[in-house]
Formats: sequence, structure tokens, C-alpha cells
Amino acid sequence: MFFHIVLERNMQLHPRHFGRDLRDKLVSKLMKDVEGTCSGRHGFVVAITGIESVGKGLIRDGTGFVTFPVKYLCVVFRPFKGEILEAVVTMVNKMGFFAEAGPVQIFVSNHLIPDDMEFQSGDVPNYTTSDGSVKIQKDSEVRLKIIGTRVDATEIFCIGTIKDDFLGVISDPGSTS
Amino acid sequence: MGRSRGKKKGSEEFEPREVDDFDGGKAGRKKRRRSEFVDDVAEEEEEEEREYRAGKRRRSKRKSGLQYLDWEAVVDDDEEEDQEDEEGFDDDFIENGSADILDKDDAIQTHRSFLVDSEDDEEEDIEALEKRVQERYGKRDLELDEEPTEVEQQALLPTIRDPKLWRVTCVNGHEREVAFCLMQKSIDEGSQLQIRSAVALDHIKNYIYVEADKEAHVKEACKGLCKINSKQIMLVPLKEMTDVLSVKTKAVHLSRGAWVRMRNGMYKGELAKVVDIDNVRQKVTVKLFPSNNLRALGDGVSKKNDFHITPRSKDGFLLKEVSFRSVNACSVHPTIDELEKFLHSSHIEDGDMANLLSLSTNRKKAQFFKGDRVIVVKGDLKNLKGWVEKVEEDNIHVKPDVGYHLDYLVMSPKELCKYFEPGNHVKIICGAAEGTTGFVASVEGHLVNIISDTTKELLQVFADHVMEISEAASGVDQIEDFELHNLVQLDDSSFGVIIHIENESFQASFMIWCKVLKGIPGKAVVEIVKLGNIRCKLDGIKYQTKDQLNHQLSVNDLVKVVEGVWRGRTGKILHIYKGNLFIYDHHHLENAGFMCAKSQSCILLAGGSRATNNWNGENTSSCSRVHLSQQRSSRGCSSMNARGRYGVQQERDALIGAFIKIREGVYKGHKGRVKNIKGKNVQVELEAQMRVVLGKFFDELSNLLF
Repeated sequence: MFFHIVLERNMQLHPRHFGRDLRDKLVSKLMKDVEGTCSGRHGFVVAITGIESVGKGLIRDGTGFVTFPVKYLCVVFRPFKGEILEAVVTMVNKMGFFAEAGPVQIFVSNHLIPDDMEFQSGDVPNYTTSDGSVKIQKDSEVRLKIIGTRVDATEIFCIGTIKDDFLGVISDPGSTS
Repeated sequence: MGRSRGKKKGSEEFEPREVDDFDGGKAGRKKRRRSEFVDDVAEEEEEEEREYRAGKRRRSKRKSGLQYLDWEAVVDDDEEEDQEDEEGFDDDFIENGSADILDKDDAIQTHRSFLVDSEDDEEEDIEALEKRVQERYGKRDLELDEEPTEVEQQALLPTIRDPKLWRVTCVNGHEREVAFCLMQKSIDEGSQLQIRSAVALDHIKNYIYVEADKEAHVKEACKGLCKINSKQIMLVPLKEMTDVLSVKTKAVHLSRGAWVRMRNGMYKGELAKVVDIDNVRQKVTVKLFPSNNLRALGDGVSKKNDFHITPRSKDGFLLKEVSFRSVNACSVHPTIDELEKFLHSSHIEDGDMANLLSLSTNRKKAQFFKGDRVIVVKGDLKNLKGWVEKVEEDNIHVKPDVGYHLDYLVMSPKELCKYFEPGNHVKIICGAAEGTTGFVASVEGHLVNIISDTTKELLQVFADHVMEISEAASGVDQIEDFELHNLVQLDDSSFGVIIHIENESFQASFMIWCKVLKGIPGKAVVEIVKLGNIRCKLDGIKYQTKDQLNHQLSVNDLVKVVEGVWRGRTGKILHIYKGNLFIYDHHHLENAGFMCAKSQSCILLAGGSRATNNWNGENTSSCSRVHLSQQRSSRGCSSMNARGRYGVQQERDALIGAFIKIREGVYKGHKGRVKNIKGKNVQVELEAQMRVVLGKFFDELSNLLF
């Protein structure tokens, strides 16, 4: 799920950037530092949409670096248990398949793939139904449900299932191309 | 003890026989010579035969108790009787004192006459024989029929009036020999030897037991026997006397269908299932799947034959009858693999549940904790789910999920099973994969399939062995100093990254090992290494390296492999060592996502801040090299700050190529450039001497002056 929230961060800036475009430097450094990171609490920071406020800078003793408390608005993405996501399959193996929904990696175990789908090894490993009508392979798009998340300090990993109503392949790369 | 009693009884029992044959005693003796001549025809003449026999009998009786021993031994198999016979045999010896040695012919004749004797008796006074037999064995049959009551048993216990039992120290391993020596002595000395009996027990080393009235008698008997330490004689307390000669059998609780482990022999450690139990013979028939078949075959040809003759049941199992003692019934935790073997081989399609249920009867009491999710597996409330509210000794209070107005239900642990739902994050708390965490992928009865966090492999474990946890520990990821994904030195030439750590417990011996992906670029060589074989950790060592396009590479940079087997793969650099990169790619499952490649066969993708810096012409301070140059320009003042800002690692990194002055040791005062840093050693290229020296500096960083 995506959220638009305000986060705060203390930015350290080198004295050489002090000048007319200090604020710009600060923002660009913030973007570089924050975007794409993942915090266990808030999830992935997708984009910074604006700066709420920049606090008063504090000069660090000895280094000359200045610390600014910056409040910024950003879009975060955090997967939740029970959430339905659309994801792209990145890898298929006999244990299941991996899919990605933006920055989140989701693993769908073969226990959580409908029983009528079987693993076919070969050049393009895939899961196929017995009649061959549905096929999950690399680059397929699937709709899945998250049943478990593991949140580390720097990573979020999810376990998903497609063993439910209305879940499964939504577009097959083989059929479209 | 009943030994002295037995002796008395024995001698009594010999009496009638003697009397029986006694009728023509003296006459027989006189005629003996004659009867020897007619030996062969004697059978026809009854009277003569009788006489002859009697004479023979007396003679033989006096000469030795050999015949008794011979005959009784054949007839008897009961323990008590044996004892008696032995006593009788001893008595004969003692009574007769120094026995004449029978010449061969005599002995044969004696034997033969005895044979004849019994045949005749059968015809002649069969009633007497019957009576004798009755007397002799009748009582015993009765005893066999009825179990001796407690009171009867009590009456047999030794009292203070009975002879005492003395424990005598002897040389280890010579217990039997000493006992025999005492027997021989008693034969030689007869009644002078006042001890009643001597016994050596197989399970008691260093001691024999002597039955005698007084300690002096024991000492007297032991005199002259060098294997006995006659100074160390101890009285066995009355209460403990019975314990000496009674063999305690451990209570073995075996039931049909229980799992056991073989304790010794070829199948040591193998899991087996009890098929049949024979309590009388103390034997148990087990069914086992000989998995170490091949190993044993490989051991030698001699063993090969054993395999051809091993009886097998239809399913490929080996049925084996072993004694109770050679199986271990307690604390048997069959692993899933072993159980599967049993399942596969017995071709039971729907037997899974049955098998698992039978397992659950055998299972260790599962550990439940407050807050555990449980499901009822037995009884009326089957399939009811709930939470563990309270755990008591034998009861578990369960708060059901639905409907019931009761606060909680009291259940026994056997009726409950831990319950998990797919997606739960759990930790394995028992068995080979102990400590591993993962997600529950699916639940099949007692079995839970878990996807390991670290390896993404599927593990099948029992629900009892799993605990739900919230924290995301990544399983076993640390052994002593080494952590998962550490770069380690194996021997002089090889190094690698730890990609898997396992502590395996088998038969109480712990083995910790890890898999190491060796640093051979372009190849995935995984070696299983024991903890002891890892030389050291290669952390904190950073080599400068460049990619194909001459860009600086550093740890955490994103690179793409453009040559070799891994071509096309992208990943993050986790380690750099001697121009080799260890790249981690989470899409890549084999070797836990690691690959090793030459830095020259990779190209840097955008990513690390460092890369952009390089492209921008080294304009920021995050590049250590640049920093150093700054340091050099403003030597002295900024070095302290630099040290404070960056960790030791970066400090080390920064030192490569730095211009230093050596402060201590042989090369004190020399100036030089740091060539390389290896652990705590620094290679310094001296400016003045055109040579490279190795110094150990890192402990005392202050020794280095920029």
C-alpha cells in the first residue's frame, strides 16, 4: 500500500555547499540519500514530493559540517499481510516463483500455487495447468495475495499466494507477443 | 542366598541313589574282579549284574563326581538345579578328599555301567525311578506353575544366621581365574577350606564374592593366591547381599509400532520400528531400512555375504530380531527423511496420516507456551482452534476461538497440536535445522513446510518443532567469529564466502560446518568446510580494483558481469579480494545468490555514490583516495579528523598508497608508501632502500605518521 507521509531526517552538509543554493544542495542530497531506501517501519521510500520545513542548522564541532533537521513529504510503499498486489514474475523454479512489485520481492511457494498447476522445467521454466491454458513464466504478470511479510531494518520480503479466487496470471508475455 | 541351602538339598538328593544301589555293597566289591571279566555278558544275570553295578557304583562314587556332573548336566537346565549339581559335584570332591585318578578303561566302564544301570532301572524298578523323578522334579514343576509369592521370596532372603558374603579384591580381568583357583583349592584341600562358595560375576570387575562364615576363613582360602589382594576383604551388608547376585533389568517400555534406534552393530543409529515383542525371551523384532547398506558393502568383501543372507520382508525392509538391550527406545526423534523412507518403502498412499498419528503417540511431549496457536487433534473437539492460555504440568488451558462461553478448556498436550497458517513467520526450535527461521508455506497435519529465510529452500518439519516468532532472525548465521556471507581464508591459496552455516547434531556429537563458495572466478565451487578449517576472516581488507572500463569498484557497488558463465547477471559487490568480486544477486538462487567473478569481466552500473563521484571527477570527499590526497596536502591537522569520521575499515582502505613514516622497530625513521594491507600487517615500500618490508602495525595505528 502507498502512503503519502511526512518524515524527518537530519541532514549533514559539507561547508563547501554553503551559499546561495544551499537549499537546493540539501534537497538533492536528501533525494539521493533517501529515495529507494527501505525502512522497516515505513517501507520503501518511493519519491520525495516536497519539503515541509528545514530547521535551523547546527554546526558540528571540529568538522564544520552542519546538521539540518529536514521534514519532507514522501510517498512510501509498504506491503501488508492480506494485501492484493500485482507483480511481475522474475524467476521460476521448482520451489515456486519470485515476483516483484516495484521494490518488493515476493516469493510464491509451490504449495501456494494451485494444485492443478505443475512445474515444467526446461529452457523457460514455468508452471502450467494440465490443459496448458494458464502458464506462469518469467515476465508474466500475476495478481497475488501477500500472506506473510518479513521486515528487516533494510529489507522487506514477502510470501504470497495465488491459491485463491481471482488470483493468478493477469497477462501472459507469451500470448501478448 | 540359598546357596548353602542348595548345597544341603543337593547332598540330600544324592542320598537315595546311593542307597538304591547299595544293596549288594560289600559283596559286589569282592566280586568285582570277576565281574570285570564277564562284563559283556553280565546283563543276562540280574543278580550278578546288580552286584557288579553296585560295586562299580560305589567305586565310582568314591573316585569322583564326574558322572554326576555329566548326567545331571544333560538332564537339567534349570538354574537352581545347576547350582545344586555344582554343589553336589563339589561335595563329592570335598568328601573324597584326594581323588584317585581313574585310568581310562575304568572311566569308560564306569560310564557304560551307568548307562546300563539306568536302562535296567527302567525295566526293573520303574516305580522307584518314577518316585525319584517325582521327588526330584515334581517340586520344581509346581514352582514353575505358580509364581513364588512375596512371602516365599522373603523367606529365602539371607538372615544373620546365614553365612556372610565377602567382597574380595582381585586383579582386574582375572576374576574367573581366581574363582576357579578357589574351586581347585577346595578340591585339593577338602573340608579344610571353610569357605562355602566363591563367585565371579561377569559384570563386576576387580572383585569376586566369597561366601563364608568368618573373615578368617576367607583369608585362609585366599592365602597363596597371587591374584587376590587378601587385605582388601569387605563384608557385604546383609541388605545388599541379594543385589550382588540378582541381575537388574532396566524397565524397557516398548510397544508395537514404536520407533527405536539401534544401539550397536552394523545398523547402529538406524531408525527402526518395533514389529513384535517377545517379553519372555527379551527379544524384539524390528523393521528397519538399512540405509547404510552400500557403505557396509564398501567396507569389505567379507561383509558382503551378510547381505545376501539377510532376510527381507516384501517391502525391502530388514526384519531383525534383537535383544531389548540393543535398541534404544527413549528420546527417539525420527527425522522427516527417515520417516519418509519408511513411508515410501511401504507403499502406503493414504498412510501418511496414520503414520503420522502413530508418530504422534510416540512423540515427545510438545512444548507449548502461552500464546501458542493450537488445534485439537483428538476427541470430540477435534479441529477446534484456540490459543494457549496457561500451561500446567499435564494440562493445557486453551481458549477456543469460537462460540464457547467457557473461559477456557483444559486439554492434555496429547490432544493438541500446534497450529500454523501459511504465511506465519516461524522458527525451528528442534532438530537438524534448529534456529532457522522462515515462512510457513503449507501445513499438512503434523507437518509444516517452511520456506527458509536465508536459502529460500523448503524445509519440512513437525509442527511440534516450530515456534512462531515475530523477529526476523535469519536462522543460523553465526558460528563463533564467522558470520554468514563473511569472506574467509581457507588455506594459503584459497578463499571464499560463507554461504551456508549448519550445525548438525547426530548421535550427540555436534558438527558445525559451513558451505563456502570458493573464490575461483567464473566457477561455482562450493566446498563444505568444518569450522576448524577456516583460517581467518578476511574482513576489513579492501583491495582497489577496477572494472573493464577502468572504473573504480568498491563494496556495495552494482555491477554487471559481461564475461564468463555469469554473463548478464547483475548484483551488488559484497567483497573484493585480489581482483575478484563476490557478487550477490538475489535473483540467483544457487549458492545463496553468490557468484565470484574477475573484476575485469564486470562493468560498473550506476549505483554506489562512489561511482558517480568518479565520473564527476572526484569532487567530493567520499572517495577515500581523494581524501588521502587532501590529507597529504594538509598533512597532520586533518588526519585525526579523518580517523574520527571514518571507521577503521575505511582508514585501512585509505592507507593503501599512503605515504608514511615508520616510527618503531628496525626500520624506524624510514619513509615509504603503503603497498598493501593484510590483516594486521602492512606492506610498506621503503623510499630509501628500494624494497618492500612487512610490518605489523595495525594494533598501534599511532605508530604510523602521515
